[in-house]
Amino acid sequence: MDKKLPESKVIVVTSGKGGVGKTTTVANVSSALARVGYKVAVLDLDIGLKKLDLLLGLENRVIYDIVQVIEGEIELKKAMVKDKRFPCLHMLPAAQTRNKADITPEQVKDVCEQLRPDYDFIFIDCPAGIEQGFQNAIAAADQAIVVTNPEISAVRDADRIIGMLLSAQFDDDDIGLVVNRLRPEMVKDGNMLSIDDLVEHLSIDLLGVIPEDKNVVISTNKGEPIILNEKSAAAAALNNIAMRISGKEVEIPTFQEESVLQKLKTFGRKFFSTM
Amino acid sequence: MIKIKGINGNLVFVFGPGTCTEYLTYLSSHLAQNNALFAGSTVYFRGEGLKDLSHQEIAALQKLCLENGLILNNNEPEKTVSKTETAKSRHLPEPPAGQDVFIHRHIRSGQKVHADGCLVVWGDVNESAEITAGGDIIVLGKLAGIAHAGCFGRKDSVVFALNLAPSQIRIADKISRSSGDNVKNPVPEIAYLDEDAICISKYSVRKSIKNK
Repeated sequence: MDKKLPESKVIVVTSGKGGVGKTTTVANVSSALARVGYKVAVLDLDIGLKKLDLLLGLENRVIYDIVQVIEGEIELKKAMVKDKRFPCLHMLPAAQTRNKADITPEQVKDVCEQLRPDYDFIFIDCPAGIEQGFQNAIAAADQAIVVTNPEISAVRDADRIIGMLLSAQFDDDDIGLVVNRLRPEMVKDGNMLSIDDLVEHLSIDLLGVIPEDKNVVISTNKGEPIILNEKSAAAAALNNIAMRISGKEVEIPTFQEESVLQKLKTFGRKFFSTM
Repeated sequence: MIKIKGINGNLVFVFGPGTCTEYLTYLSSHLAQNNALFAGSTVYFRGEGLKDLSHQEIAALQKLCLENGLILNNNEPEKTVSKTETAKSRHLPEPPAGQDVFIHRHIRSGQKVHADGCLVVWGDVNESAEITAGGDIIVLGKLAGIAHAGCFGRKDSVVFALNLAPSQIRIADKISRSSGDNVKNPVPEIAYLDEDAICISKYSVRKSIKNK
Protein backbone atom coordinates (compact mmCIF):
# COMPACT_ATOMS: atom_id res chain seq x y z
CA MET A 1 0.00 0.00 0.00
CA ASP A 2 1.29 3.46 -0.89
CA LYS A 3 1.35 6.53 1.24
CA LYS A 4 -1.49 8.99 0.82
CA LEU A 5 -0.03 12.36 1.64
CA PRO A 6 2.74 14.08 -0.33
CA GLU A 7 4.29 15.51 2.84
CA SER A 8 4.77 13.29 5.85
CA LYS A 9 4.29 14.60 9.36
CA VAL A 10 6.48 13.74 12.31
CA ILE A 11 4.48 14.19 15.50
CA VAL A 12 5.89 13.84 19.01
CA VAL A 13 3.56 12.97 21.87
CA THR A 14 4.88 14.34 25.13
CA SER A 15 3.75 15.46 28.59
CA GLY A 16 6.51 16.04 31.12
CA LYS A 17 4.73 14.11 33.84
CA GLY A 18 4.57 10.34 33.61
CA GLY A 19 1.44 8.25 33.56
CA VAL A 20 -0.85 10.78 31.88
CA GLY A 21 -1.48 8.63 28.82
CA LYS A 22 1.18 9.39 26.22
CA THR A 23 1.70 5.83 25.12
CA THR A 24 -2.04 5.08 25.13
CA THR A 25 -2.60 8.11 22.93
CA VAL A 26 0.18 7.13 20.52
CA ALA A 27 -0.99 3.51 20.27
CA ASN A 28 -4.62 4.40 19.64
CA VAL A 29 -4.29 7.47 17.45
CA SER A 30 -1.77 5.69 15.22
CA SER A 31 -4.03 2.61 15.03
CA ALA A 32 -7.02 4.79 14.15
CA LEU A 33 -5.08 6.48 11.33
CA ALA A 34 -3.79 3.16 10.05
CA ARG A 35 -7.34 1.79 10.10
CA VAL A 36 -8.47 4.40 7.56
CA GLY A 37 -5.52 3.62 5.32
CA TYR A 38 -2.76 6.07 6.21
CA LYS A 39 0.72 4.65 6.41
CA VAL A 40 1.84 5.16 9.99
CA ALA A 41 5.13 4.54 11.78
CA VAL A 42 5.44 4.68 15.54
CA LEU A 43 8.78 5.14 17.27
CA ASP A 44 9.14 4.19 20.91
CA LEU A 45 11.84 6.44 22.38
CA ASP A 46 11.25 5.46 25.99
CA ILE A 47 14.44 3.45 25.93
CA GLY A 48 14.84 1.31 29.02
CA LEU A 49 11.15 1.56 29.93
CA LYS A 50 9.38 0.49 26.77
CA LYS A 51 5.61 0.06 26.81
CA LEU A 52 4.34 0.82 23.32
CA ASP A 53 4.88 -2.74 22.11
CA LEU A 54 2.82 -3.97 25.06
CA LEU A 55 -0.09 -1.66 24.32
CA LEU A 56 -0.14 -2.68 20.69
CA GLY A 57 0.12 -6.35 21.64
CA LEU A 58 3.33 -6.75 19.65
CA GLU A 59 5.71 -7.62 22.47
CA ASN A 60 6.61 -11.09 21.26
CA ARG A 61 7.16 -9.97 17.67
CA VAL A 62 9.96 -7.62 18.62
CA ILE A 63 13.33 -8.82 17.32
CA TYR A 64 15.44 -5.72 16.79
CA ASP A 65 15.30 -2.30 18.42
CA ILE A 66 16.05 1.35 17.68
CA VAL A 67 19.49 1.32 19.31
CA GLN A 68 20.56 -1.57 17.09
CA VAL A 69 19.34 0.39 14.07
CA ILE A 70 21.24 3.49 15.13
CA GLU A 71 24.40 1.55 15.85
CA GLY A 72 24.16 0.05 12.35
CA GLU A 73 23.65 -3.54 13.44
CA ILE A 74 20.47 -3.91 11.44
CA GLU A 75 18.69 -2.15 8.59
CA LEU A 76 15.87 0.18 9.59
CA LYS A 77 13.31 -1.60 7.40
CA LYS A 78 14.08 -4.96 8.96
CA ALA A 79 13.65 -3.62 12.47
CA MET A 80 10.17 -2.22 11.85
CA VAL A 81 7.54 -4.51 13.38
CA LYS A 82 4.30 -4.88 11.38
CA ASP A 83 1.08 -4.59 13.36
CA LYS A 84 -1.05 -7.72 13.45
CA ARG A 85 -4.36 -5.91 12.85
CA PHE A 86 -3.54 -2.97 10.61
CA PRO A 87 -1.10 -3.64 7.77
CA CYS A 88 -0.37 0.10 7.43
CA LEU A 89 0.95 0.40 10.99
CA HIS A 90 4.62 -0.27 11.70
CA MET A 91 6.49 0.10 14.98
CA LEU A 92 10.12 0.70 15.75
CA PRO A 93 10.61 -0.71 19.27
CA ALA A 94 12.76 0.75 22.01
CA ALA A 95 15.59 -1.19 23.60
CA GLN A 96 14.81 -2.33 27.11
CA THR A 97 18.37 -3.11 28.15
CA ARG A 98 19.90 0.23 27.11
CA ASN A 99 19.32 3.78 28.26
CA LYS A 100 18.31 7.12 26.86
CA ALA A 101 21.84 8.51 26.66
CA ASP A 102 22.81 5.82 24.13
CA ILE A 103 21.28 7.80 21.27
CA THR A 104 21.46 11.46 20.23
CA PRO A 105 18.91 13.89 18.73
CA GLU A 106 20.81 13.84 15.42
CA GLN A 107 20.50 10.06 15.17
CA VAL A 108 16.73 10.24 15.78
CA LYS A 109 16.45 12.93 13.09
CA ASP A 110 18.32 10.67 10.73
CA VAL A 111 15.97 7.74 11.41
CA CYS A 112 12.92 9.98 10.81
CA GLU A 113 14.35 11.27 7.53
CA GLN A 114 14.76 7.69 6.38
CA LEU A 115 11.14 6.94 7.30
CA ARG A 116 9.56 10.04 5.73
CA PRO A 117 9.38 8.75 2.13
CA ASP A 118 7.42 5.66 3.18
CA TYR A 119 4.97 6.97 5.76
CA ASP A 120 2.23 9.61 6.05
CA PHE A 121 2.53 9.95 9.80
CA ILE A 122 5.44 9.21 12.07
CA PHE A 123 4.54 9.26 15.77
CA ILE A 124 7.21 9.51 18.42
CA ASP A 125 6.38 8.26 21.90
CA CYS A 126 8.34 10.56 24.21
CA PRO A 127 9.53 9.44 27.65
CA ALA A 128 8.47 11.38 30.75
CA GLY A 129 10.86 14.05 31.99
CA ILE A 130 12.79 16.87 30.36
CA GLU A 131 16.22 15.27 30.05
CA GLN A 132 18.07 13.61 27.21
CA GLY A 133 15.15 11.34 26.31
CA PHE A 134 12.88 14.34 25.81
CA GLN A 135 15.49 16.15 23.73
CA ASN A 136 15.93 13.06 21.55
CA ALA A 137 12.19 12.74 21.04
CA ILE A 138 11.42 16.33 20.04
CA ALA A 139 14.43 16.86 17.77
CA ALA A 140 12.93 15.40 14.63
CA ALA A 141 9.29 16.41 15.07
CA ASP A 142 7.29 18.92 13.02
CA GLN A 143 4.40 19.02 15.44
CA ALA A 144 3.81 18.15 19.06
CA ILE A 145 0.89 16.82 21.05
CA VAL A 146 1.00 17.63 24.74
CA VAL A 147 -1.02 15.19 26.83
CA THR A 148 -2.16 16.28 30.26
CA ASN A 149 -4.61 15.30 32.97
CA PRO A 150 -6.97 17.76 34.60
CA GLU A 151 -4.92 18.01 37.80
CA ILE A 152 -2.48 20.71 38.83
CA SER A 153 0.67 18.56 38.89
CA ALA A 154 0.16 17.41 35.30
CA VAL A 155 -0.81 20.91 34.15
CA ARG A 156 2.29 22.44 35.73
CA ASP A 157 4.49 19.96 33.88
CA ALA A 158 2.58 20.54 30.65
CA ASP A 159 3.19 24.27 31.02
CA ARG A 160 6.91 23.64 31.45
CA ILE A 161 6.96 21.33 28.43
CA ILE A 162 5.11 23.85 26.25
CA GLY A 163 7.65 26.48 27.26
CA MET A 164 10.48 24.14 26.26
CA LEU A 165 8.79 23.24 22.96
CA LEU A 166 8.30 26.91 22.12
CA SER A 167 11.94 27.65 22.76
CA ALA A 168 12.86 24.68 20.51
CA GLN A 169 11.68 24.58 16.87
CA PHE A 170 7.91 24.67 17.53
CA ASP A 171 5.42 27.51 17.04
CA ASP A 172 2.14 27.99 18.88
CA ASP A 173 0.26 26.42 15.95
CA ASP A 174 2.43 23.30 15.98
CA ILE A 175 1.35 22.28 19.45
CA GLY A 176 -1.97 20.61 20.27
CA LEU A 177 -3.35 19.86 23.70
CA VAL A 178 -4.98 16.55 24.61
CA VAL A 179 -6.74 16.39 27.96
CA ASN A 180 -6.92 12.81 29.15
CA ARG A 181 -8.91 11.16 31.95
CA LEU A 182 -11.49 13.91 32.30
CA ARG A 183 -14.33 13.16 34.70
CA PRO A 184 -17.24 15.37 33.64
CA GLU A 185 -19.21 14.75 36.83
CA MET A 186 -16.27 15.98 38.95
CA VAL A 187 -15.86 19.08 36.78
CA LYS A 188 -19.57 19.79 37.19
CA ASP A 189 -19.23 19.67 40.97
CA GLY A 190 -16.22 21.98 40.81
CA ASN A 191 -13.79 19.30 42.03
CA MET A 192 -11.73 19.07 38.85
CA LEU A 193 -10.18 21.64 36.53
CA SER A 194 -12.48 22.31 33.59
CA ILE A 195 -11.44 22.29 29.94
CA ASP A 196 -11.95 26.05 29.85
CA ASP A 197 -9.57 26.55 32.77
CA LEU A 198 -6.96 24.31 31.18
CA VAL A 199 -7.07 25.91 27.75
CA GLU A 200 -7.05 29.37 29.29
CA HIS A 201 -4.05 28.54 31.49
CA LEU A 202 -1.95 26.73 28.90
CA SER A 203 -3.19 28.91 26.02
CA ILE A 204 -2.59 26.45 23.20
CA ASP A 205 -5.18 24.95 20.87
CA LEU A 206 -7.22 22.02 22.07
CA LEU A 207 -6.90 18.88 19.97
CA GLY A 208 -9.07 16.54 21.96
CA VAL A 209 -10.61 15.54 25.26
CA ILE A 210 -10.61 11.92 26.43
CA PRO A 211 -12.95 10.97 29.27
CA GLU A 212 -11.95 8.61 32.07
CA ASP A 213 -12.94 5.12 30.97
CA LYS A 214 -12.22 1.81 32.67
CA ASN A 215 -12.30 0.05 29.31
CA VAL A 216 -8.90 1.62 28.62
CA VAL A 217 -7.32 -0.43 31.40
CA ILE A 218 -8.99 -3.59 30.15
CA SER A 219 -7.81 -3.05 26.56
CA THR A 220 -4.31 -2.13 27.69
CA ASN A 221 -4.01 -5.33 29.67
CA LYS A 222 -5.11 -7.31 26.64
CA GLY A 223 -2.72 -5.50 24.34
CA GLU A 224 -5.52 -4.28 22.11
CA PRO A 225 -6.09 -0.70 21.04
CA ILE A 226 -9.18 0.73 22.75
CA ILE A 227 -10.40 2.18 19.45
CA LEU A 228 -11.57 -1.31 18.47
CA ASN A 229 -14.20 -1.12 21.22
CA GLU A 230 -17.14 0.64 19.57
CA LYS A 231 -18.98 1.23 22.83
CA SER A 232 -16.22 3.05 24.69
CA ALA A 233 -16.37 6.83 25.11
CA ALA A 234 -12.58 7.05 25.25
CA ALA A 235 -12.38 5.17 21.95
CA ALA A 236 -14.67 7.71 20.29
CA ALA A 237 -12.56 10.55 21.64
CA LEU A 238 -9.30 8.99 20.43
CA ASN A 239 -10.79 8.37 17.01
CA ASN A 240 -11.90 11.97 16.96
CA ILE A 241 -8.32 13.11 17.69
CA ALA A 242 -7.00 10.91 14.87
CA MET A 243 -9.51 12.41 12.43
CA ARG A 244 -8.50 15.93 13.40
CA ILE A 245 -4.84 15.07 12.88
CA SER A 246 -5.69 13.75 9.42
CA GLY A 247 -7.12 17.18 8.62
CA LYS A 248 -10.85 16.43 8.94
CA GLU A 249 -12.91 19.10 10.61
CA VAL A 250 -14.64 17.27 13.39
CA GLU A 251 -16.12 18.75 16.54
CA ILE A 252 -14.39 18.03 19.81
CA PRO A 253 -16.79 16.36 22.22
CA THR A 254 -15.94 18.03 25.53
CA PHE A 255 -18.47 16.25 27.74
CA GLN A 256 -19.65 19.59 29.01
CA GLU A 257 -22.53 21.99 28.53
CA GLU A 258 -23.44 23.41 25.15
CA SER A 259 -21.97 26.89 25.54
CA VAL A 260 -18.50 25.57 26.28
CA LEU A 261 -18.66 23.30 23.28
CA GLN A 262 -19.45 26.17 21.01
CA LYS A 263 -16.41 28.04 22.18
CA LEU A 264 -14.14 25.05 21.73
CA LYS A 265 -15.24 24.42 18.20
CA THR A 266 -13.45 27.50 17.08
CA PHE A 267 -10.41 26.71 19.20
CA GLY A 268 -9.31 23.44 17.74
CA ARG A 269 -10.07 24.19 14.12
CA LYS A 270 -6.86 26.04 13.54
CA PHE A 271 -4.72 23.11 14.58
CA PHE A 272 -3.65 20.87 11.71
CA SER A 273 -5.98 22.77 9.40
CA THR A 274 -3.02 23.58 7.19
CA MET A 275 -2.44 19.94 6.38
CA MET B 1 39.10 54.47 46.75
CA ILE B 2 36.80 52.51 49.05
CA LYS B 3 36.71 53.37 52.74
CA ILE B 4 35.58 50.57 54.97
CA LYS B 5 33.87 51.80 58.12
CA GLY B 6 32.11 50.17 60.99
CA ILE B 7 28.91 51.92 62.00
CA ASN B 8 26.53 50.51 64.63
CA GLY B 9 28.02 47.06 64.24
CA ASN B 10 27.54 47.20 60.47
CA LEU B 11 30.12 47.50 57.73
CA VAL B 12 29.80 50.48 55.44
CA PHE B 13 31.72 50.62 52.16
CA VAL B 14 32.07 54.23 51.09
CA PHE B 15 32.87 54.36 47.40
CA GLY B 16 35.16 57.20 46.38
CA PRO B 17 36.09 58.05 42.80
CA GLY B 18 37.27 55.04 40.77
CA THR B 19 36.28 52.45 38.22
CA CYS B 20 34.50 49.15 38.71
CA THR B 21 37.61 47.04 38.02
CA GLU B 22 39.54 49.06 40.59
CA TYR B 23 36.81 48.53 43.16
CA LEU B 24 36.66 44.83 42.39
CA THR B 25 40.42 44.24 42.75
CA TYR B 26 40.56 46.39 45.87
CA LEU B 27 37.64 44.62 47.53
CA SER B 28 38.68 41.12 46.58
CA SER B 29 42.20 41.62 47.94
CA HIS B 30 40.86 43.12 51.18
CA LEU B 31 38.20 40.49 51.65
CA ALA B 32 40.68 37.70 50.94
CA GLN B 33 43.16 39.01 53.52
CA ASN B 34 40.68 39.41 56.35
CA ASN B 35 38.09 36.86 55.46
CA ALA B 36 37.37 35.81 59.03
CA LEU B 37 36.89 39.44 60.05
CA PHE B 38 34.37 40.27 57.32
CA ALA B 39 32.38 37.05 57.07
CA GLY B 40 28.90 37.25 58.55
CA SER B 41 28.67 41.02 58.89
CA THR B 42 26.04 43.17 57.27
CA VAL B 43 27.30 45.53 54.63
CA TYR B 44 25.97 48.77 53.16
CA PHE B 45 27.13 50.46 49.95
CA ARG B 46 27.39 54.21 50.02
CA GLY B 47 29.31 57.06 48.44
CA GLU B 48 29.50 59.18 45.35
CA GLY B 49 31.42 56.56 43.37
CA LEU B 50 28.29 54.37 43.17
CA LYS B 51 26.53 56.86 40.92
CA ASP B 52 28.86 56.20 38.01
CA LEU B 53 28.41 52.43 38.16
CA SER B 54 25.95 50.48 36.06
CA HIS B 55 23.56 47.96 37.60
CA GLN B 56 25.66 45.07 36.34
CA GLU B 57 28.74 46.53 37.97
CA ILE B 58 26.95 47.01 41.28
CA ALA B 59 25.59 43.49 41.00
CA ALA B 60 29.15 42.22 40.42
CA LEU B 61 30.35 44.02 43.55
CA GLN B 62 27.41 42.66 45.55
CA LYS B 63 28.16 39.17 44.28
CA LEU B 64 31.76 39.47 45.39
CA CYS B 65 30.58 40.43 48.87
CA LEU B 66 28.15 37.53 49.01
CA GLU B 67 30.87 35.10 47.93
CA ASN B 68 32.98 36.27 50.84
CA GLY B 69 30.24 35.59 53.35
CA LEU B 70 28.98 39.15 53.79
CA ILE B 71 25.28 39.91 54.17
CA LEU B 72 23.91 42.57 51.86
CA ASN B 73 21.58 45.25 53.10
CA ASN B 74 20.34 48.10 51.01
CA ASN B 75 18.87 49.96 53.97
CA GLU B 76 20.87 52.80 55.33
CA PRO B 77 21.94 52.63 58.94
CA GLU B 78 19.47 55.32 59.93
CA LYS B 79 20.83 56.91 63.08
CA THR B 80 24.09 58.01 61.59
CA VAL B 81 22.87 59.45 58.34
CA SER B 82 21.07 62.74 58.02
CA LYS B 83 17.68 62.85 56.36
CA THR B 84 18.68 64.60 53.17
CA GLU B 85 21.52 62.19 52.65
CA THR B 86 19.17 59.22 53.04
CA ALA B 87 16.81 60.54 50.43
CA LYS B 88 19.65 61.05 48.01
CA SER B 89 21.43 57.75 48.38
CA ARG B 90 18.36 55.59 48.81
CA HIS B 91 17.53 55.75 45.12
CA LEU B 92 20.07 54.11 42.92
CA PRO B 93 20.55 55.83 39.57
CA GLU B 94 17.49 55.66 37.31
CA PRO B 95 17.99 52.98 34.62
CA PRO B 96 18.07 54.32 31.07
CA ALA B 97 14.92 53.72 29.05
CA GLY B 98 16.75 51.47 26.55
CA GLN B 99 16.99 48.73 29.17
CA ASP B 100 13.23 48.29 29.38
CA VAL B 101 11.96 44.98 28.06
CA PHE B 102 8.62 44.25 26.39
CA ILE B 103 7.48 40.66 26.04
CA HIS B 104 4.61 39.56 23.85
CA ARG B 105 4.09 35.98 24.98
CA HIS B 106 3.30 33.93 28.05
CA ILE B 107 6.07 33.18 30.46
CA ARG B 108 5.68 29.56 31.39
CA SER B 109 6.71 27.37 34.29
CA GLY B 110 10.51 27.12 34.54
CA GLN B 111 11.22 30.15 32.36
CA LYS B 112 13.14 33.17 33.64
CA VAL B 113 13.03 36.69 32.28
CA HIS B 114 15.14 39.61 33.43
CA ALA B 115 15.12 43.28 32.48
CA ASP B 116 17.64 45.85 33.68
CA GLY B 117 14.99 48.53 33.39
CA CYS B 118 11.25 47.99 33.54
CA LEU B 119 9.57 44.81 32.36
CA VAL B 120 6.23 44.74 30.57
CA VAL B 121 4.64 41.37 29.82
CA TRP B 122 1.74 41.18 27.38
CA GLY B 123 0.61 37.77 28.56
CA ASP B 124 0.46 35.58 31.62
CA VAL B 125 3.28 34.70 33.98
CA ASN B 126 2.46 31.15 35.00
CA GLU B 127 3.22 29.33 38.24
CA SER B 128 6.95 28.70 38.91
CA ALA B 129 8.04 31.20 36.28
CA GLU B 130 10.37 33.97 37.46
CA ILE B 131 10.54 37.56 36.32
CA THR B 132 12.98 40.14 37.64
CA ALA B 133 13.46 43.79 36.78
CA GLY B 134 15.63 46.66 37.92
CA GLY B 135 12.57 48.87 37.78
CA ASP B 136 8.83 48.26 37.68
CA ILE B 137 7.10 45.07 36.55
CA ILE B 138 3.86 45.35 34.63
CA VAL B 139 1.94 42.23 33.67
CA LEU B 140 -1.01 42.66 31.32
CA GLY B 141 -2.42 39.27 32.21
CA LYS B 142 -2.27 36.95 35.17
CA LEU B 143 0.82 37.02 37.37
CA ALA B 144 1.01 33.67 39.13
CA GLY B 145 4.78 33.12 39.31
CA ILE B 146 7.51 34.94 41.21
CA ALA B 147 8.07 38.64 40.51
CA HIS B 148 11.03 40.70 41.75
CA ALA B 149 10.83 44.41 41.05
CA GLY B 150 13.66 46.76 41.89
CA CYS B 151 16.09 43.86 42.07
CA PHE B 152 19.07 46.24 42.25
CA GLY B 153 17.63 47.96 45.27
CA ARG B 154 15.19 50.59 43.97
CA LYS B 155 12.57 50.81 46.67
CA ASP B 156 10.11 52.88 44.65
CA SER B 157 9.59 50.01 42.18
CA VAL B 158 6.10 48.57 41.85
CA VAL B 159 4.52 45.38 40.52
CA PHE B 160 1.30 45.76 38.58
CA ALA B 161 -0.88 43.01 37.11
CA LEU B 162 -4.38 42.74 35.72
CA ASN B 163 -4.68 39.65 37.90
CA LEU B 164 -2.15 39.80 40.70
CA ALA B 165 -1.89 36.28 42.14
CA PRO B 166 1.84 35.67 42.52
CA SER B 167 3.33 32.93 44.66
CA GLN B 168 5.88 35.51 45.79
CA ILE B 169 6.45 39.21 45.31
CA ARG B 170 9.82 40.77 45.98
CA ILE B 171 10.43 44.50 45.89
CA ALA B 172 14.03 45.60 46.45
CA ASP B 173 15.12 43.44 49.41
CA LYS B 174 11.64 42.70 50.81
CA ILE B 175 9.78 39.46 50.21
CA SER B 176 6.11 38.73 50.60
CA ARG B 177 4.28 35.54 49.78
CA SER B 178 0.73 34.92 48.64
CA SER B 179 -2.03 34.22 51.16
CA GLY B 180 -3.11 31.34 48.95
CA ASP B 181 -6.64 32.66 48.64
CA ASN B 182 -8.11 32.44 45.19
CA VAL B 183 -10.03 35.55 44.20
CA LYS B 184 -13.05 34.86 42.00
CA ASN B 185 -13.26 38.08 40.01
CA PRO B 186 -9.81 39.59 39.96
CA VAL B 187 -9.28 43.34 39.54
CA PRO B 188 -6.06 45.08 38.52
CA GLU B 189 -3.83 45.47 41.57
CA ILE B 190 -0.53 47.11 42.36
CA ALA B 191 2.13 46.10 44.87
CA TYR B 192 4.47 48.70 46.35
CA LEU B 193 6.72 49.30 49.33
CA ASP B 194 5.33 51.35 52.16
CA GLU B 195 7.57 51.78 55.20
CA ASP B 196 9.54 48.66 54.25
CA ALA B 197 6.45 46.45 53.99
CA ILE B 198 5.00 45.21 50.72
CA CYS B 199 1.46 46.51 50.32
CA ILE B 200 -1.07 45.52 47.69
CA SER B 201 -4.00 47.69 46.75
CA LYS B 202 -6.57 48.01 44.03
CA TYR B 203 -5.11 49.99 41.16
CA SER B 204 -6.40 53.52 40.93
CA VAL B 205 -5.07 56.05 38.46
CA ARG B 206 -5.24 58.98 40.88
CA LYS B 207 -3.34 57.29 43.64
CA SER B 208 -0.56 56.01 41.40
CA ILE B 209 0.06 59.46 39.92
CA LYS B 210 0.17 61.01 43.37
CA ASN B 211 2.69 58.47 44.64
CA LYS B 212 5.17 58.95 41.81
